This record gives sequence, structure tokens and C-alpha cells, in this order.
Amino acid sequence: MTARFAIEGLNKSFAAPVLKQVSLQIRPGSIHGLVGENGAGKSTLINIICGLLAADSAELTLDGKPYYPMSRAAALAEGLALASQELSLIETLTVEENILLSSLPESAFRIDRRKVRLQAQELMNLVGLKHIPPQTPLARLRLAEKQLVELAKALSMPTDRIKLLILDEPTSALTSAQADQIHRIIKQRADSGLSVIYVSHRLDDVLSVCDTVSVLRDGVIQHTAPGSSLTSDDLIREMSGEELSQHNDDEVRKIGDVRLRVERLSNADFPEPISLQCHRREIVGIAGLAGAGRSELLHAIYGLGAGHQGKVVLVEPAGDVLIDSASTAAKNGIALIAEDRKSQGIFSGKSVSLNSTVAGLSKLSGNLGAIISKREQRACKELISRLNIKSEGPRQTIDRLSGGNQQKVLIARWLQADSDVWLLDEPTRGVDVGSKLAIHNRLRELRDQGATMLIVSSELEELTALCDRILVLSNKKAVASYERGQWSKEKLLAAAFSEHKGERALAG
Amino acid sequence: MLSKLSLLFEEIFIVIALLLLILFFGLMTENFFTTGTLRAILTQLPALTVVTIGMTLVLISGGIDLSVGSVVALSAGVIGVAFTVFGLPLPVAGLLGILAGGCAGLVNGVLGSYFRLPVFIVTLGMLEAARGMAYLVTDSQTVYIGASIQALSLPISGIGVSASFLISLGLVVLAQYVLTRTVYGRYLIAIGTNEQAAKISGIRTEPYLMWVLVVSGLLAGLGGLMNAAYLAASDPNAATGLELSAIAAAVIGGTSLMGGRGSIVGAFIGVLIISVLQNGLAQMGVSEPVKRLITGLVIILAVLIDRWRSRYA
Repeated sequence: MTARFAIEGLNKSFAAPVLKQVSLQIRPGSIHGLVGENGAGKSTLINIICGLLAADSAELTLDGKPYYPMSRAAALAEGLALASQELSLIETLTVEENILLSSLPESAFRIDRRKVRLQAQELMNLVGLKHIPPQTPLARLRLAEKQLVELAKALSMPTDRIKLLILDEPTSALTSAQADQIHRIIKQRADSGLSVIYVSHRLDDVLSVCDTVSVLRDGVIQHTAPGSSLTSDDLIREMSGEELSQHNDDEVRKIGDVRLRVERLSNADFPEPISLQCHRREIVGIAGLAGAGRSELLHAIYGLGAGHQGKVVLVEPAGDVLIDSASTAAKNGIALIAEDRKSQGIFSGKSVSLNSTVAGLSKLSGNLGAIISKREQRACKELISRLNIKSEGPRQTIDRLSGGNQQKVLIARWLQADSDVWLLDEPTRGVDVGSKLAIHNRLRELRDQGATMLIVSSELEELTALCDRILVLSNKKAVASYERGQWSKEKLLAAAFSEHKGERALAG
Repeated sequence: MLSKLSLLFEEIFIVIALLLLILFFGLMTENFFTTGTLRAILTQLPALTVVTIGMTLVLISGGIDLSVGSVVALSAGVIGVAFTVFGLPLPVAGLLGILAGGCAGLVNGVLGSYFRLPVFIVTLGMLEAARGMAYLVTDSQTVYIGASIQALSLPISGIGVSASFLISLGLVVLAQYVLTRTVYGRYLIAIGTNEQAAKISGIRTEPYLMWVLVVSGLLAGLGGLMNAAYLAASDPNAATGLELSAIAAAVIGGTSLMGGRGSIVGAFIGVLIISVLQNGLAQMGVSEPVKRLITGLVIILAVLIDRWRSRYA
């Protein structure tokens, strides 16, 4: 029997290649698992299959016919259903309207309310939402329930029209009982001929549901094998690749005194309290999968948002300082460079000068807050040359700079503010290799000058290269902490996946 | 030096537009270049100018203040009643009017900033509420104040312009200085450009977002004083729709409704353009509906030119 869906030689690059010569064959009635660490290229692959992105080169066939969807709607029309991790639901509509949104009969002028309602109720019963009235506004549902609605929506297409079902992290918010229910449904559908691509971080789920599993690493399919022949340790090994050569500092550096104390900090984003101490001349890494609560932790330490329990203390010679707001944090020498440069970092349309001096203006102003232009210009020029920022000068708008140079401007902003505690969220995301090395070296220099750093990164190589210690978060919990020399990529990944598997006890 | 040149360059487009407009009316009407026209423009100008200063600051912070027209009427009403009914001295009455404006601004500011309500809605509510209060204060009657208050809006002998005009000009210069050369102005621009990034940069955004509305209220209160001086009376119907003229002037002067970008000097030139346009059209004998039509088209044209300029300049 030929494949239901086949990919041959798929390539996709953004700034750098993301997917390289990917080939996949999915048989009718097969549940095909797809796993890989963050940034391996899973989302890009799914987006291409669903028509949200175009491949640079590829041969895609669905039921033996060429398949090149130009849009999400085109993919849907070809019989491709998706339940996505980023839910495609509309908060203001009711549950039943959401479920039937993409499958309402287009030709009919009038919607047969009764029939529609019946169909929605049926699907809701199927996925275990019997207890919720179909007319409930979606916004009232909890995340797990929304995930079930998303699934019901994907299943709403008539069985004869749906050819390939893609499930992207369908169970990430579900309890194991709910997940089992979903898995039963998927297996039933597969038995009656539906092909499924199943993407998940829960490796045990993948192994129990999928008949075939492919591992994606750095945009390449490393391995495809029957699910029954694999263990989750096999998958972790394949995802992480060979052991990376350890970066050993030749000289033994002396880590300084405690500078930052996080004491039983928790909030709505990560309900289990996290405690942590960071020292002068130390870089602490935070590893974890997307959604593990890494950015939320940095933001909470910085005093952003509300409803925190516990406390964050900055240890000063003159006495401890309690950090309770972003402005106290900034004033006392804490710097935050957020993950999303565009929406939380730069001031778009403004000059390099404004962008680099905004956090340290007090040093550049005289009486009554008057900014001394000469001082500002000089400070900005110094920062540009110190960080080797490639720009036409202080007056150039920041948008014209490359991503790497924009990131350097953000570092400059906090240098100007004399920060010595740095919270860095994906400091080199979307940055070219040259700038990346430059930023790494700059961070090491700052560390040697006595700075304290907390770095969140999805790239384990970045963490193992920079950090003295790595804290691993999994599913909003701190699960492990490794000193330099103790860690391996395998251990880190295993810890990062541990809570997503939903069984391993707290380690470390 | 370079920064000053580029500031001029930013404003040069609208200055040229203003000069062309004056030239056009000079050629089209016989009496445009007379002291009468100048006086008409100069007496109406101060109230709109001070209100536009506040509006421009609010727009730069990423907000909007729809209540200014009503607050002008409220302030004027308070002044008229304080002076005529309670017999307070004129300076005290004037101060009360300005403070009344400040109070309205404080309510706007606290609700918009600390209670996180949309400023558009809050100030829309204040637009109604302040107008209602203006009617209540004046008992829906125009309160005649008398010649004493007119001193503010009559030309000072030897200078040829009124005290109101000098005050508004001084405030233009002061506000432009604060906006471009002080930490406060810089923070306001930062907040209006990207509030989240401003917060992360350690700026406490709430006080700034509150104070900018308080300042707008105080300036509208001052506008009420100037309005009363020019009419020699408190008219509860005064300044209806003034908020739209102020927004138009700010936008003509290059202020972005999305926040983060704007200039007080530019907005002042915007005020001049609107005043010249309205007086010139009136002298040409254009009817009121056509006047409004043309003014509307000019505003849209200004935004188009501004869009083009920011893309290619």
C-alpha cells in the first residue's frame, strides 16, 4: 500500500537552515510520532504541512497526488486537520461554535441550529467534555478543557473527508486520565484508516500511542523506528546527539559572595515555590522546554507582574534590598533583557542613542532632570565602540540595525545603568553567529568583572558553554540543578522532560 | 548643532505649508494682510494653543484626552461664578478655574493609569460629565464677567499682542524643552513608544501616565480662563468640539496617534494652520459647511503627507 502522506527532500531556511532534506512516509492508519528538542524544527515542519509556511524545496504528496497548500484553508480543504499547541480557538465564541467553526456547511444560507448542536454535543462527549454545556463561552473554560475543545474541533471534519490529523502537543495541559481518553480516540480513528502525526514532549505518551516514531534534531530526521522497539532513553539520546565537548575553563575561577537570593518565589505562572541563590562572578543557566516557566521566573525575579509569593533579595554591603517592582530592580542594578526583543526590548523608530541611554539617564542629566546633550552623545558613542555596535552612529534608528546589533544596544542600555545583576532571556535568539560569539565574550567579561547572571536559553550548547551551574525547570517546577562538570546534555534533557512525562519524582 | 538642524528639517514641511496658505489667502482676498485679520487670529489662538500642548503630550504618551473642550467650559464657568456670585478677586477665580481643570485631569489620570481603564473611554465620560458640571455651575446661563477679565486677551500697548498670547507662546517653548531636553520628556516618549519596554527599563509608567493627564487638565483649565477673557463671559456652551481641533492641530504638526512621536512646536504650527485656514476662508466668504469640508480635507491631507514623510525621510 502506498503512503497516505509523503514528504521527500524538504528544505527550509530562514536566516539559517531549519530543515534539511527531511523525508517522511505516513501510511494509512498509522500514528506517526515526531519528537525533538526545542528548535529542532518540529513547528516549522508542521507549519509547512498545514500551509502556513512554504518550503524552499520539497515534494509533498497526499494520496499520491501533489500537495502544496498555499494557506491554512487550502490544507483544510484537502482534508488536513490540526489540533495545535497554540490553540486556534476564539475566546468570545461558545464551545459549540468553536468546535464547528471550520466545518459549518458553507453552501447553506441558514444554519440548522439543532443539527449543529447535536453534532457538537457528540464530539464533546467523545473527548470527555460531557459536563460542559455547549453554549458556554470558551473564555470560561480552563486550559485543559480548551485543549479538549481544540481536539474536538480537529475531529469535527467528516470522517470521510479527513485524511491526515496533526496533533501538536495535544495533551500538554491534560491529566493522565484525560490523555488516555484522547489516546483511545486517536487509536480508534487510526484503526478505521485515519493517518495521524503526533508531536509531543511527553515521551511515554509518544511511545505508547505511536506505531512509528521519528526523531528530529537540528532540522534533520535522525532516526525513524517502530515505537515498540524504542525506550524514552533512546529518544533522549537521539534528540541530544553525541556528547558535546565540555568547555573547560583552564583556570579555576573563584565564585564570589551571594548577590541575589530568591526565596520560595511563586506566582500563578509557577505555583510551586522556587528558591535560588546567585553569586558574584557566577553565571547560572536556566534550562527547560518551551512553556516550562523559564521566562516567567525571570520576570518574577525582576518584579514584573503581580501576585507573587516569596521574596527576591539583593545582597548589598549596606544591607539587603527587597525587590518588589521593576523600577526598584532597575534602580538597584538588576538588568532584564526579555525574550521578545521587538515587543519588550527596543523602542522602535527611535534612535540608537535613546535606546541605549534610557535606563541610565540619571547619570546624563543635571538639575531638574535636564538632559545634557553633550554627555548623552559622548556616552552613546562610547557604548557603540565598547560593544562594537555596527551602526551609522547615535542618531540612526534602531530598526535599521541587525538583530545582533539591536541586542548589543540592549546590553549597552544596562551597561549605561551600571547593572551588575543580569537576567537574560534567550540573549542570542535570532542573532548571527558572529554577534553571538561577541555577546558571549562580553558576558564572560562582565562576569569576570564581578557580575551575577541568570541566563535562560533553549540552546543547551549556549548554557553548557557559559554557565557555572544549570537549573532545570520542567513543567513549571525546578527539578534539578547541575554544577559544571556534573552535567551532560542527556541528563539535562532527561530532567527537562521529566515532569512532562508526568511520573518522575522531583530530583536534585 | 546637528540635532537643531534636523529639528528644523522635521518642521520645515509644515512651516512651508503655513507660508503657502498665507500667500494663497493674501492673493485671493483683498484684506487678508491687515491688522484686523492678525488680531482675529491672535485673540482666538491662545486657548486652542494651550489645550493643544496638553493634547500633544497626552498623545505622545500613547493616550488621548477627549475631555478638554468640556473642561475649558467648566473652568470658564467656575471662574465666572467665583468672580460674579462669590465676589472673589479675579486672580483667585482664575486659579480656581485652572484647578478645576486639574481635578478633572486628576480623575482621568487616576482612572486611566492606576485603574488601567482605557483612557479613550474615561475621557469620553469626562467629556460628558465636565460639560454637565459646566451647565450646573453656571445654571445653564452665560455669566457676564465684564471688562476686567478682558485685560488678559487685549493687546498690550507697545507690544501689540495680548498677555494670553505671550503666556501660550511661553508654554509652547517650555513644553518643547521639557519634551526634548529632560528626563521626563524622554520617559514620556519611551512609554508612548513601547510601554512594556519602558517598564522593563525601570521606568515607573503609572505616575507619568497620570501626570500627563493632570497637566492636560490644568492646561484646559487655563484655556478656560483665556476663553472667558476673550468673551468677557463664561459660556457653558463654549469650546464644544475643541478636543477635535486640538487633535487635528497635533496631527498636522506631526504627532502620531499611536504614541511615541510628536512635537509641541509642530503642534503650534498646526494651530496656526487651522486658524489661518478658518479666518482666510471666512474672508473669502466661504460658507460654514464648505469651511468645515475644507478643514477636514486639510487634516486628512496632513496625515497623508506625514505618512509619506516618515516613510521616505
